[in-house]
Amino acid sequence: MIALSVAAVLAIFLLYTSLAGGGTPSVSPTELAGKTGEVALAGRVVGTPTGDPHGAGMRFVVRDIDGANKQRVTVLYKGSVPDMFRSGRDVVVTGTQQADGLFVTKPGSMITKCPSKYQAADTPA
Amino acid sequence: MIWALLAAALAVAVVVVVALPFLREPAPASDALHELDPAERRLLEAEEARDRALGALQELEADHRAGQISDEDYRAVVGSLRRDAADALRALDRLRPRAAGTSDAEAKID
Amino acid sequence: MAELGRAALLLTLGLSAYALVAGGYAAWRGRRRLAHSARNALIAAFFSTLVAALVLVFAFVRDDFSFAYVAGHSSRALPTPYKLSAFWGGQEGSLLLWLLVLNGYAALAIWLARKRAKDLVVWVTPVLGGIAVGFAWLLVAVSSPFDVIAAPADGSGLNPSLQNPYMVVHPVALYLGYVGLAVPFAFAMGALLSGRTDERWIVATRRWTIVAWTALGIGQLLGAHWAYVEVGWGGYYAWDPVENAALMPWLAATAFLHSVMIQEKRGMLRVWNVTLVSLAFCLSLFGTFLTRSGVVTSIHSFTKSSIGPWFLGFIVVAVVFAVGMIWLRLPQLRTTAKLESLVSREAAFLYNNLLLVALCLTILWGTAWPMVSEAVRGETMVVGRPYFDFFLRIFGLPLLLLMGIGPLVAWRRASLRGLTRTFAWPAAVALATGVVLITLGAGSSTPGLVAYSFSAFVLAAIVHEFARGTSARRALTGEPVPTALGRLIGRNRRRYGGYVVHASIVLLAIGVAGSSAYDSVAEGRLARGQSLDVGGYSLTYRSLGEREGANATEVRALLDVRRGGKDLGTVQAGKNAYSVEQQVSNEVGIRTDYLTGEDLFVIAEQVNDDGTVFFRVFVKPLVNLIWLAGLVFLLGSVITLWPDAREERRLATRYASARERSDTPATT
Repeated sequence: MIALSVAAVLAIFLLYTSLAGGGTPSVSPTELAGKTGEVALAGRVVGTPTGDPHGAGMRFVVRDIDGANKQRVTVLYKGSVPDMFRSGRDVVVTGTQQADGLFVTKPGSMITKCPSKYQAADTPA
Repeated sequence: MIWALLAAALAVAVVVVVALPFLREPAPASDALHELDPAERRLLEAEEARDRALGALQELEADHRAGQISDEDYRAVVGSLRRDAADALRALDRLRPRAAGTSDAEAKID
Repeated sequence: MAELGRAALLLTLGLSAYALVAGGYAAWRGRRRLAHSARNALIAAFFSTLVAALVLVFAFVRDDFSFAYVAGHSSRALPTPYKLSAFWGGQEGSLLLWLLVLNGYAALAIWLARKRAKDLVVWVTPVLGGIAVGFAWLLVAVSSPFDVIAAPADGSGLNPSLQNPYMVVHPVALYLGYVGLAVPFAFAMGALLSGRTDERWIVATRRWTIVAWTALGIGQLLGAHWAYVEVGWGGYYAWDPVENAALMPWLAATAFLHSVMIQEKRGMLRVWNVTLVSLAFCLSLFGTFLTRSGVVTSIHSFTKSSIGPWFLGFIVVAVVFAVGMIWLRLPQLRTTAKLESLVSREAAFLYNNLLLVALCLTILWGTAWPMVSEAVRGETMVVGRPYFDFFLRIFGLPLLLLMGIGPLVAWRRASLRGLTRTFAWPAAVALATGVVLITLGAGSSTPGLVAYSFSAFVLAAIVHEFARGTSARRALTGEPVPTALGRLIGRNRRRYGGYVVHASIVLLAIGVAGSSAYDSVAEGRLARGQSLDVGGYSLTYRSLGEREGANATEVRALLDVRRGGKDLGTVQAGKNAYSVEQQVSNEVGIRTDYLTGEDLFVIAEQVNDDGTVFFRVFVKPLVNLIWLAGLVFLLGSVITLWPDAREERRLATRYASARERSDTPATT
C-alpha cells in the first residue's frame, strides 16, 4: 500500500513537471519560423562555416534534415565545437532566434552525432 | 562451393541434434513429462520454509554475538523466530516423517 | 561466404522457432522427448549463430569488402583489433552480437538447470526461444550483416572515436549485461507458466542476475571512461538517451537484486519481484531499441532506421506477456507474510527499492519525453541536464544513506534504542567529517557536502561491520586478524561481498561528487610561452608538434605544468586527423595526481594557423575514485558469486527429492 501511494505521488509530480512546460522544444529550421524563446534547433550543416567560435563567433548555415522543405537558418555559435562538426553533419544547438533571422546560441550548447553510414564514394581508391 | 557444403553439413547436424531424443527412444515406455504433483510441491515449499526459518535464527544469533543486535532487540525477536522454526519443522515432519526431522528439531532447540 | 552466414542465421531462426513452438507444446502437454528436443534446438541455435558470427569475423580479418557491412565499417589500414571490434560497430553486427550472447546464455542456462529444475526448464525453453526468434527474424529479414555488394577497393573505415581499447570491451560488457537479464526474466516467466510458487527460479537465476548486473555496471563505467578520455568534453556522463538506456535496466536490476533477498528470507514481495525482473528485461529491450533506432535525438543516432517499429513491437509483446502472466498467477503469488514494522531491514529494502525504481522511472520519463511530447503535443520537447541532476540528487542521496542504514537494521522489527546504539558511531564519524569538510571549503556545494557526509556514514558503518564480525569470530576461535577476516568473508560471501559492493558505490559517489560539485575550469587562447591558471595549477604552452601515425596525422601541443611553484612535468593535448574517415578527433591530455585522485584535464579546442591554441582546462578533484570504484565493484561481485560448497550441498539435498521423481519417467 505504501508502494502504491508513493507511486501515485511520483506520477503526479512527473506529470506536473512535464505538462508545466519542462524541457526545451526541439525544432527544425522550417519549424523555427515565428518561434520566440529558447529552442533546440536540429539541422544539417551546409556550406562552409566561417569565423572563430572562441572569438567573435562562428557562423554556419543549417537546413532541415529530412523533408522536402529546405529552409535555411544562419547560426551564430560561440563555445566548444565537437569533433564531429563539419559540413554535412547533423547538429543540435540551443538558442533563440533574433529579429533579423539570425539564430544566436547559448555558448557551448552544440551536440553532433556520428553518421551511421559512411559514404564510400568520398575517398578515391 | 565449400561454403555450400559447410552450410549443408551444419543443417544436417542441427536436424540430427533436434531429432536425437526421438532417435534414441523410438518407442519409449512413457513419453509423459513428470511434473511435480501437489504432494511433492508442498514438500518443496515446506523445505523452503524450514530453511528460511532456520536461516533467520542463525543470522540472528550471529548478529547478536557480533554485538550488532542489542540484548533487548534479540529477546524481542528470538521468541517469534523460534516459533516459526518449530512450526516449519512440524509441518515438514507431517509431510515427511523421517529421522532427519528430529535431528533438525534438536539443533533448533539448542 | 556470405551465403554460409545467411544460411546459418536462417537455421538459427528455424531452431529458435522450433524451441518456441515445440517447446511450448511439450510443456503444455507434458511430452518428455519433445521437451528434450526443444532444449537441444536451443543449444544447437547457439552453434549456428556462432558459425554466422565467425563468418563475419573472417570477413573482417580478410578485408572482404564484398560484404557491405565490412565495407561500411572497416578499411585496409585499420589495425586488426579494431577490425574485430568493427563487428559491433554498426547495427547489423551489434544485433548479431546480441543474438550470439542470448543464444550462448540460453544454452548455458538450460544446460545447467536441466537436472535440478526440469519442470521449470520445459517452460523456460519456449520463452528463451521466443526472444531469440525476434532477433533472428530481424537479422534474417530486416537488417542482415550478410548483404553483398560489388567490392570497393577499400572500406570506409571505422569511426575514429571507436578506435580505442575501450570500444573493444565496452559494447561486449554492456551486451553481456543487457542480454543477461533475459535469463532471470525467462525463468520468472517459466515459473509463472508452470504455476509454481516455490523459489527455484530465484535460486537458479541468482548468479545469472549478478553476472548480468555486474557486466552492465562495468560496461557503463567503461563507457563513461571512454567518454572522459576519448570524446573529451570534460565529463563522463551526459544523460544522453543512449547512456540512460543502460542505466535504467541497471537500476531496475539493482532493485531486483535486493528485493529477491527479501523473498528468499521472508517469502514476501513475490508479485513485486516478477514485476521488477520483467521491468528490467523490458528496459534492456527498450535500451537496445533506443540505441539502434535513433527515435530520440541524441549524440549517437539521429537517423530513424528500419528496425525501430519491430523493436517497439517486441517490447509491446514482452510487456503484454509479462503483465498477462502476472495477472493470471496473481492468486498463487500472494503470500501471508506481512511487513511487521516500518523500521526494519525489510522496510529498508523496500525504501531502497522504491527509490531505485523512482529514479529509474524519472530517467525513463525524461528520456522518452521527446517521443511522448511529439506524439501528444505535436512538438518535440527535449529535457536537459538540470532535470536529471535534480532527480539524481533527490533519490540518489537518500539511497546513499540507506546503504549504510539497511545492513545495520534488524530484520522484522528494530527498536529505536537499538538503532541509536548501532548508528551512534557511524553518525558521529559522518558529522565530524562534515564539519572538517566545511572548514576545508566544501560548503560551496550543499549536495556535495551532503554526499560526502553520507558517504562517510556508510563507510564507517561498513568498516564497523567488518570489525565487529572479525572480533566476534576471534572471540570464538582466537584466530589472528587476517585469518578471522578471511574466514568471516568466506563463510558469509553474499553478505560481505555485498558490503564490498556497497563500498564501491560509495567510492563512486565520492568521485562523482568531487568531480562535479567541486571542479574548476578555465579557458583562453595562448601563444607560445603564455600561461593559464586554474585550480592551483599553472600551465604554460611551450610548443606544437605534428607526426604521422598509423592511420592519422597527430597534432600535439606541449604544456608545462606547475603547482605551488613545483614543476610537475608536461602534458600534451591536440587533435588527430584521420585520412580515410575524413574526420578529426579530439585527443585530450590528462595528468592524474595519484595521491589525491585529482585530474588535470586539458583540451586543445582549436589549433589556429598562427600557432596559437585555444585551450580549455579542467581540474577534477577525486575523479579517479570513480574508476577505482569499478575495480572494487568487480571484487565485491566476485566475492558474492564465489560458489559456497555448504550452500550448494544444502540446495542439492532440498531439490534432490523433487529431482528423483522428475528424472525418471512416471510409470503408467
